Amino acid sequence: MAKSNALLIGTLSHTRKEWQAISEIANLHEYPDGSREDFLSKCRNGDFDGVVALYRSNDSNKITGNFNDELLDALPKSLKFVCHNGAGYDNVDIAACTKRDISVSSTPVAVNAATADVALFLMLGALRNVTQCFQAARKGNWRGDFKLGHDPKNKILGILGMGGIGSAVATRAKAFGMKIQYHNRSQLPTKEEDGAKYVSFEELLKTSDVLSLNLSLNASTRHIIGKAQFDMMKDGVVVINTARGPLIDEAALVDALKSRKVWTAGLDVFEEEPKIHPGLLEDENVVILPHIGTATFETQRDMELLVLDNLKLSITEGRLITQVPEQKKAKAKV
Amino acid sequence: MATKPKVLLLGKIEHAHESWKSLSNLADLVSSQAQGRAEFLEECKAGRWDGVKAIYRTFDSMEITGRFDSELVPLLPGSVEFVCHNGAGYDQVDVNACSDRKIKVSHTPGTVNDCTADVNMFLILGALRGFNPGMLSIREGNWRGHPLPPLGHDPEGKTLGIVGMGGIGRNLKKKCDAFSMKIIYHNRKRLSEELAGGAAYVSFEELLRTSDVISLNLPLNKDTRHKISTREFEMMKKGVVIVNTARGAIIDEAALVKALDSDQVASVGLDVYEDEPKIHPGLMSNPRVILVPHMGTWTAETQCAMEECNISNVRSAVQDGVLLNLVPEQVDLEK
Repeated sequence: MAKSNALLIGTLSHTRKEWQAISEIANLHEYPDGSREDFLSKCRNGDFDGVVALYRSNDSNKITGNFNDELLDALPKSLKFVCHNGAGYDNVDIAACTKRDISVSSTPVAVNAATADVALFLMLGALRNVTQCFQAARKGNWRGDFKLGHDPKNKILGILGMGGIGSAVATRAKAFGMKIQYHNRSQLPTKEEDGAKYVSFEELLKTSDVLSLNLSLNASTRHIIGKAQFDMMKDGVVVINTARGPLIDEAALVDALKSRKVWTAGLDVFEEEPKIHPGLLEDENVVILPHIGTATFETQRDMELLVLDNLKLSITEGRLITQVPEQKKAKAKV
Repeated sequence: MATKPKVLLLGKIEHAHESWKSLSNLADLVSSQAQGRAEFLEECKAGRWDGVKAIYRTFDSMEITGRFDSELVPLLPGSVEFVCHNGAGYDQVDVNACSDRKIKVSHTPGTVNDCTADVNMFLILGALRGFNPGMLSIREGNWRGHPLPPLGHDPEGKTLGIVGMGGIGRNLKKKCDAFSMKIIYHNRKRLSEELAGGAAYVSFEELLRTSDVISLNLPLNKDTRHKISTREFEMMKKGVVIVNTARGAIIDEAALVKALDSDQVASVGLDVYEDEPKIHPGLMSNPRVILVPHMGTWTAETQCAMEECNISNVRSAVQDGVLLNLVPEQVDLEK
């Protein structure tokens, strides 16, 4: 029987061996670098005809651009599986994939610990107001114009999006004496809440001392935090975002920081990465990182392995390990 | 009628003003306006502080008086019985010199545990994850930097060796548990299983040899000065991460710089330095070092709690002749 065809878009840093091993069950094709133009033209030229499953990532998105109607139309008709490296997959149009009978997987769970660790680092840094004195020390000014920070102990942490990452954030924050409340599309079963209190979106905004965004970006969550929401928050709230930049209206955040409505913020993601609103770059009341939520040897390897495992299963059994929830729900309706 | 004893304030009260003022029921509150050590010593010699029973001193007051050492302590008026130090670490005070004068010393343990452990955790994450290069490059407008910095490491499953399992070390252990680190510790004395929270007790050498991350949480004294130096770095795992929120002089800073340059030490997180506020240029220039300026206890809540604790020690000293938080070295003086 003829072997399937698999396509790797982008590069693998930790699992070349495991990728090569897939040659047992599939012919391997690669598109390590290029441009959207070039990729589309190769697709239309038939270069990838016969490819059944492909590997793409949040990183490779800068090569091909978003997986939208245009690109999906150009991809070979044989394509049945898009195995995505990333827990966030807002750059893949799931509905458009479903329409074309293309199943999509992502990499949940593998990212939880690493992302939660960044959230805690940013939370501690923001609560302790670290940026000013961090920068002063580095310049030889010792503490500079130092201001006191706050202890996390007994503060109320509001988690918006209590999925895998949100839960991991909650577990860690509890160790620092924080009280946890959350808002989610639906309340979790009690035993999964681990003592966290479920509240409405509005109550979360009104009563949290620290707000952590841990929800996915989609059409309905874009700018979920804007001026109206900042106005509802406690004076001096601390805002943490390790999810996706466009969840927050960045200009509104800058205004809220200027007015001190938001006392400090910790951000790993921005609306238009790698561009950052200049109001944030100059602000010593924000702790900022350049989207390195999962940038560890261990997690990067785990993520790559999970994608490859999805790829292998798609070829051998025609299904995915971690298919995106939107598609699983859609199937259930049938 | 007996005159009220005096309480001398060296340094400032920033938060617990009410509690401080309420001491005036028990004592006359006086403070030195001396601009330097020589002036302060003159004040002492001139009898200005005669009648002072208890001294409330702050960490920052060292900038004026210098250390409470074997030159200064004998010059304190004969009336002084208590030195109440605001801070958990009291290496600024020569306890032996005080004991020789039968002066009892208190500090403020406990109040600092959470706060210091929080900065400690911030530095462990920062150093292990290698956040520093990204924190610098993003502000320079270079996003992640060119070339890209190396990937960091997850704390999960890594061995954290805590040197000094006192209040702060044990507090840190609980927090690191939430990050799924494996904790081992070395202490002058082995702790009970319960107190150690399940952390394994090891020798100092074994801690050095087997830890992926080493956190210093022990006090500075003549036995612990430069406890971490060339010989110790050579025993550590290659690529070890070092974090110090205790006292700078526990590490031989020059040896640390060499160990970083040779990649024996992969990254470092520091809140304290040998010669504060000076930071060794070899550390400043190294992007793998995450540096904060001795801010271990700098929160509104903890600064207030520390002042309250120190004031309580002063009150207890003046009212009842006992300190609430006598330094461990002087336990025998009570008898």
